[in-house]
Amino acid sequence: MKLYSLSIHHKGATKANLLKAAYDLSSFSFFQRSSVQEFMTFTSALIVERTSQGSRASVKEQEYLCHVYVRNDNLSAVVVADTEYPQRVCFTLLDKVLEEFSRQVDSIEWPSGSPETINYKALDIHLSKYQNPREADAMTKVQAELDETKIILHNTMESLLERGEKLDDLVAKSEHLGNQSKAFYKTARKQNSCCEIM
Amino acid sequence: MAECEEEVEVLVQRVVKDITSAFKKNPSIDEIGVIPCPEARYNRSPIVLVENKLGVESWCVKFLLPYVHNKLLLYRQRKHWLDREALVDITCTVLLLNPDFTTAWNVRKELLQSGVLNPEKDLYLGQLALTKFPKSPETWIHRRWVLQHVLAQLAAVGSSRKHQQSGEGEQVDADRRQELSDHLARTLHQEMKVCSDAACRYPSNYNAWSHRIWVLQHMARGNAKVFHDELSSMRLWVSMHVSDHSGFHYRQFLLKELIHELSQSAGEEDLTGEGEGEERQLSFITVLQLFHQEMELISDLIRSFPGHETLWSHRRHVFFLWQQWRRDQKLSNGGELAQGDVWGGESVNGQSHSDAMEVERVCLPDPRDSKRLKRGVHLPAPPSLPSEYTFVSSVLDSCCPADQRRFAMSYKKWLDTVIVQEP
Repeated sequence: MKLYSLSIHHKGATKANLLKAAYDLSSFSFFQRSSVQEFMTFTSALIVERTSQGSRASVKEQEYLCHVYVRNDNLSAVVVADTEYPQRVCFTLLDKVLEEFSRQVDSIEWPSGSPETINYKALDIHLSKYQNPREADAMTKVQAELDETKIILHNTMESLLERGEKLDDLVAKSEHLGNQSKAFYKTARKQNSCCEIM
Repeated sequence: MAECEEEVEVLVQRVVKDITSAFKKNPSIDEIGVIPCPEARYNRSPIVLVENKLGVESWCVKFLLPYVHNKLLLYRQRKHWLDREALVDITCTVLLLNPDFTTAWNVRKELLQSGVLNPEKDLYLGQLALTKFPKSPETWIHRRWVLQHVLAQLAAVGSSRKHQQSGEGEQVDADRRQELSDHLARTLHQEMKVCSDAACRYPSNYNAWSHRIWVLQHMARGNAKVFHDELSSMRLWVSMHVSDHSGFHYRQFLLKELIHELSQSAGEEDLTGEGEGEERQLSFITVLQLFHQEMELISDLIRSFPGHETLWSHRRHVFFLWQQWRRDQKLSNGGELAQGDVWGGESVNGQSHSDAMEVERVCLPDPRDSKRLKRGVHLPAPPSLPSEYTFVSSVLDSCCPADQRRFAMSYKKWLDTVIVQEP
């Protein structure tokens, strides 16, 4: 039962702007960590871009489940979890983080800010605390407003894409991925190994 | 790019040398991995050592592996001689890249048997290989061979001391036995850790968990304390891995073993005719507590994490074990309920037994058991068919997702068709 990354973005007209991110890559093998981190950022940004304003979704990809909340003011958060971690707790976490972030960081900074310029320090602590969903006490909270039937479920990343769009092309164009990661993705794709996206 | 025969030979020699010196430089290396690196950087070694992590750049693997693989096969076919040191280094390199190469492990078995290789080295190599290949069947199999070898050696040393002279020899004897027992305990602990790490690296890692069971069966036979400790230390792990079927199967194994152990000691007391049934009383209560704690754990997890079939499957196993144990108890008492068995049969309403019950006889504290029982100690409510039905109803009545509903209904059906039919 794990959370791997937690990130905050601003959904712009054409792309998502990463504002802050926290990662827990301890369960990945040492030499894969930097690539994994890049892929998680890439995936999170892509999901925000393809999710409509004012909605929540869960995207399944292999053994990962990415949960996203895009608010009406375009402030968005994505958490990448495994398939054991309870979905309900993830959405509690996303709500909480966005609420806190919007109180601490002025909205004028959202469209053009970056992890280096944004002053919000609590993301790592939240990620760490929520590793144990019961300790984080989120399970006792009654999510009165959260209607689970309204959460869109995507069974693959592919279903987020437009007709004719290929994930390979998006990977190649992405500014979140370094050359090594892109090369790794290509060879992984070819071998059909278990590290297709991450 | 190294492509021709000579260049590959040079590359391989360099890599094997670099790996060997990396281990010499840092004896605490605890993880291996392949670094995604499609092209060689001019004249730089593909072996990278960062903190305690040993990495091999991916570009060289396609040259390295076939070459060392072939070299080892030629040695085996007696077409090419390799001295002992070269064998150790080459097998080490090959196994870090592909630990399912049985021949390499077998070469190491021979080296071990001839005394050239220390078994600890193979255990260490295996441990490293498992950080990248946590399921590798050949690694686990070889590990068991090495452990058997180690156990045989310890046993040999232990028995050779029997023919010591008296006096000073006896003290040395006792010290030596303590040393051996410490060694055994350390090895056991180490194996638990290796299994645990491998289980974390791959979900439902059957090979890791089977190995763990094997280790307990061979190195902790009859040692109830180890089983108790494992049960309690695994609680948190399974709570954080609620769909790890193998992890829960391990708990079922531990329960079965403990129950068996406790029944043995109760049985021995009956046979010798000594004692006043304290052993039996104690074992009875302990078993009851074990079942109660396990049912509580699984109920808690089922409610907190709806929709995981593994949890329901575990519940079935535990309840079934309970039914079996109860039946065995009744049989061993000639079909009648034992004096300590205060709760009667299924006809009693499960509800009234949710209150604490008292033990009718006094239990004298047993030096082997840290829990002290006094007159009137409260026993937890035992599992029962009515309480199982109550549990299923409570789950179905709560607002639960479709999967959870389906599993609860299946469980109920199982109770209806399988359990109710049991004698």
